[in-house]
Amino acid sequence: MSTDLETIAMLRDSAARYAEDNYSFHQRWSVLEQPSGYSPQAWSDFAEFGFLALRLPEEEGGLDGDAVAVGAIMEIVGARLLMEPLLASAVVGTGLLLRQGSAEQKATLLPALADGSLVLALADEDAPGQACVFDGRHLTGGKLGVLHGDVAGKLLVSARDTAGETVVVLVDAEAPGVSRKAYRLVDGRGAALIAFEGVQAECLQPESGHSAAESLAAIRDEATVALCAESLGIVRNLVTITTEYLKVRKQFGRTIGSNQALQHRMVDCFMLQEEIRALVAAAQQALAGPAEERTRIVSGARAYIAHAARKVCNEAIQMHGGLGVTDELDVSHYFRRLMVNAALFGSRDAHFARFTDATLAVASPH
Amino acid sequence: MTQELRARAERLRQEVRDFYAHVMPADLRDKSHRHQVLSKEDYVRWMRLLDQQGWSVAHWPAEYGGKGWSPLERFAFEDELARLGCPWVIPFGVKYVGPVIYAFGSEAQKQRFLPGIKTTEEFWAQGYSEPGAGSDLAGLRTTALREGDHYVVNGQKVWTTYAQWADWLFCLVRTDRDDKPQSGISFLLIDMNSPGVKVVPIRTMDGYAHVNEVWLEDVKVPAENLIGEEGKGWTYAKFLLKNERTAGAIVGWAWHVLDRLKKHARETRVDGAALIEQPLLRNRIGEYELRFLALELAAYQAVAAMADGSENGGEASLIKIRGTELYQEVMETLVESLGAAGVAFDGEALHRAGLPPLGPDDTGGILKDHFYNRAATIFGGSSEIQRNIVAKAVLGL
Repeated sequence: MSTDLETIAMLRDSAARYAEDNYSFHQRWSVLEQPSGYSPQAWSDFAEFGFLALRLPEEEGGLDGDAVAVGAIMEIVGARLLMEPLLASAVVGTGLLLRQGSAEQKATLLPALADGSLVLALADEDAPGQACVFDGRHLTGGKLGVLHGDVAGKLLVSARDTAGETVVVLVDAEAPGVSRKAYRLVDGRGAALIAFEGVQAECLQPESGHSAAESLAAIRDEATVALCAESLGIVRNLVTITTEYLKVRKQFGRTIGSNQALQHRMVDCFMLQEEIRALVAAAQQALAGPAEERTRIVSGARAYIAHAARKVCNEAIQMHGGLGVTDELDVSHYFRRLMVNAALFGSRDAHFARFTDATLAVASPH
Repeated sequence: MTQELRARAERLRQEVRDFYAHVMPADLRDKSHRHQVLSKEDYVRWMRLLDQQGWSVAHWPAEYGGKGWSPLERFAFEDELARLGCPWVIPFGVKYVGPVIYAFGSEAQKQRFLPGIKTTEEFWAQGYSEPGAGSDLAGLRTTALREGDHYVVNGQKVWTTYAQWADWLFCLVRTDRDDKPQSGISFLLIDMNSPGVKVVPIRTMDGYAHVNEVWLEDVKVPAENLIGEEGKGWTYAKFLLKNERTAGAIVGWAWHVLDRLKKHARETRVDGAALIEQPLLRNRIGEYELRFLALELAAYQAVAAMADGSENGGEASLIKIRGTELYQEVMETLVESLGAAGVAFDGEALHRAGLPPLGPDDTGGILKDHFYNRAATIFGGSSEIQRNIVAKAVLGL
């Protein structure tokens, strides 16, 4: 599947225009004060624009969007630091349901995902000593760091069945036996620690196709690539903002951008931006490719981008001087978002190790 | 970039691999495999081989004997040769002065020079840098004063690669001393056999003389050897530099040396374990691989932008900076991993195609390249100049 360029351009334009009008850095302050950590108004606007149905097949009223289409939205998410659970619900939750859900499960849930009435989050990382177990009807265990787990209406939970096989189960977040400890992440988004005690759950069971383990691996890669696109949006804005600042900030009677030391460092940031752009495109393409190459390129892109984006952001703070560490400047908010993103779907080191192993496993072609 | 363009570039890569395996003479392949120093005769043979394949000037327009290759095909060609460890495509004729002649030269100049460039019938060198004008090329001081139907040239060029072999020198000279630096410069073709031309080799740390000083003392150059108009040399030089800075072989060189490092790390056992299993080295190789991935993808992105005209102006600089830095670092690690063999250099044996005293039989070539490639971040616009270019042209700083 490959989304046509026109649709992607349309998505990009409409998301950019919406954010421009409704999600400026100043308008965003009120979103940060929302108890949910995001704007319910923006969320229903996204539903109206079709962003929440991005991943849905056309016959379900969706766009059947591929990684490039998802990336077009995620770049805006990064550039404007949108707070809504687009990644958690519209990309990861929806994507996993599409891969692993039965026809009936999809028929029930997809319309609610598309119209925004349901937020579906993935709870994947076991709390220490509380590995999740599914006995066929009930789920027991604990999960950590569930992004938007505080507001999700339903949860997809990875677990082992009694035979030790990986399964994905669907749980109502309000069901008896679910206890959620909500907290805020450093970038203002919500998350939760969630404990399950004999909670009634149903297994996601496709009529045919992938195992749950395969689907989880695929969705983690998909999420990783979406995060890469988000980082590209962040880095592009940081490079633009900081370059502009170098042109206006004066010290010793001249703009600080006239200093070669800063020019060269800014060029290094620009080069990182260009490499990130190339890596994002390659990772998006690799998602549809063969498994080994997918692993190599996706994890390679993520490992490189994790360092590169942090480097650009550190430089942006440094070049803004004291302002760079203030709450009132967007640079510090990008810094916090990158921190959170770096902790989602695998650490830099884990992706680097995966990349290195995959690369060195292949013999040289010549 | 269209699928068709990509497919054409891939086919070309396959043709290059087939050429390397089946057409390239064994002695040349052996020397290039070991990265030994090639003689002029070797290079001329090499360049003519490329011409016989229809490749030496394939990037030129068809009316001058080329095939009108897209930037992608040209990149794929040079990249694949470099990955295979082939000798470099000596650029002074086919890549640098050839395009200047067909773009700005007279009809007579095109007929006189282009065929000899295509076939390497005549060997060219580049007279740009001077002792006082390196990165700041506009500071050049070599003068060419018009006297009747010829110019009289006086001055000194330096870092002139293969001047000792060259039949011709394309040269930037100052024809008007009173003008502002750039506008007094002209582009002149100088016959190296002219009286008053003296070539003095410069020995570099690899024990070899790739580069030279070229002294020009009252050298008479026919006025018909002026390219284009007097005083427009800077425009032609910039056109040439743009060609010089295309992505070229840098990505392939980095790939080749990284591949060589992996091969060495797999084949060499220390205390019963392959070097590649040592965690610190493995980690470094992983980091190089990651940087190579970013470089390769950025290069394709850049070439695609060159092909569809959407360049931001920083593409070639990015590839040069990243490619040469990676190339140098990987080479450094390779040399270190050779241990004792990495400091046992027999330059003389290398020239005569002998074997090194220690280590694998390409050790000498590895060391030669290691010494030579310290200049990779200096020639063709130093890394600092490249960053200046991007700061100004792309970021507007």
